[in-house]
Amino acid sequence: MNAAGQLRGKRALVTGGRQGIGRGIVEAFLAEGAEVLACGRGGRGDLPAACTWHQTDVADAAAVEALAVATGPLDVLVNNAGVQLEKTVADSSDDDWDLVMGVNARGVFNTCRAFIPRMRKPASIINIGSISGRMADPRMALYNASKAFVHGLTRSIAVDHGPDIRCNAICPGWIETGMLEAAFELAADPGRARQDALARHPVRRFGQPADIAAMAVWLASDAAAFATGQMFTVDGGLTAASPLRPGLS
Amino acid sequence: MSAGALAGRVALVTGGRGGIGRAVCARLAREGATVYAADLDECGAPDDAPRPLTLDVTDEDSVRAAIDAVSERRLDILVNAAGIEIEKTAEDTSLEEWNRSFAVNVTGTFLASKHALPLMRAAVAARAGAGGGTASIVNFGSYDGFIADPGLAAYCATKGAVHALTRAMACDHGPEGIRVNAVCPGYIDTPMLQSFFNGEGSGGAGRGIGALRQAVRNIHPMRSYGTPEDVAGLVNWLAGDEARYASGQLWVLDGGLTAQVQQMRP
Repeated sequence: MNAAGQLRGKRALVTGGRQGIGRGIVEAFLAEGAEVLACGRGGRGDLPAACTWHQTDVADAAAVEALAVATGPLDVLVNNAGVQLEKTVADSSDDDWDLVMGVNARGVFNTCRAFIPRMRKPASIINIGSISGRMADPRMALYNASKAFVHGLTRSIAVDHGPDIRCNAICPGWIETGMLEAAFELAADPGRARQDALARHPVRRFGQPADIAAMAVWLASDAAAFATGQMFTVDGGLTAASPLRPGLS
Repeated sequence: MSAGALAGRVALVTGGRGGIGRAVCARLAREGATVYAADLDECGAPDDAPRPLTLDVTDEDSVRAAIDAVSERRLDILVNAAGIEIEKTAEDTSLEEWNRSFAVNVTGTFLASKHALPLMRAAVAARAGAGGGTASIVNFGSYDGFIADPGLAAYCATKGAVHALTRAMACDHGPEGIRVNAVCPGYIDTPMLQSFFNGEGSGGAGRGIGALRQAVRNIHPMRSYGTPEDVAGLVNWLAGDEARYASGQLWVLDGGLTAQVQQMRP
């Protein structure tokens, strides 16, 4: 059944909307009838013409405030922009901290602070957290911590700004994006690491941006009117499973 | 021998002959407690000096008889360590196996706790004049109550039930001075784990048990399996006065296993 039109009449902003999961959310929101705005640090690339693009770095508070003034009221805010860095705490520099926490943590804070007072009621904020905010991915210390920040902020916004605003986080598992490929490249044998990771997924595949976008559509829609303050994990069963999987070599 | 931290306390350990239960008995006895080691067969290592009891935790009369046999008429500590593991998927599990799993792991925990309560209240009352104190029930949950091992459907389900019963009893009996917690071991080197590795569900058949054991060991942040003594240490803490404010919690002891997203280490 095609339920297109679930977001008709809603106005949504997706940060980091040019590629990866953000791009999947932009396309799904458009398909469901929403008016979609997106932003990112660079140009719009090949985004559909129906999507309005703003060149904005969410880590820059003044730029985000200017964006909020420019865009006007929203029904839906999706905080998707994020960066990933493969380092332990001992290897991380001050610049690494500024980059990862600036985008993943402060960026979410910046947009929420700027848009919350200007959102239509009722509104929905959807943050992209991560399974890595619940359990640690090795050598991703700042990234893991930044996602835990997102989870904490999600609960706070839900508590402080209900009933006008609902706020939830989606915790994706391993989604086939450039970020996932970068993670495999860290392995001594990327091909084997990929096979191993696949075997750990009960659904026997990695996620696609559309898998996360489907959850975002629901959280943005009025069908999710009672959902707030929660972390919704969409990971193909990865974190439900122990390290023992049949078929691992 | 100097008086231990548990001197004067009376403890009953179900499954006291099993891999972990035996270590728990030994530890509590070393801390000075009088320990009743209850299991299907009479048991007890001579150097640990626990008092053996025959107990089938699935049989209410047997549970009553075991409690009646506690001559001190008080129980400061109850450890529900009796448990079985059926190594099958839900589809392959017979109703009999399913019921047996719940009878031992869940009903057994329920029955032993239910019938121990009067003696646990007596223990709390006995200590009322001496600065007060609590009685402690320590259940055996599992990390499998949080995430699933392959081919252990009934076991995983029973451990989830034990976790919920732990919280429920902590709420109900906290006001009486009775604390209820669960230890949730990860991969502990016991005969049960060996059996699991030998089984088909673990995937050990295809690559050899040795390779499987090594692979699973290496996925732990601590790069080792736990020992029954590791678990006994946590049980000892939960049983004693230092844990007087600990109740209703699920204490995971797994070498860091569940702190990480599972993946091969390059």
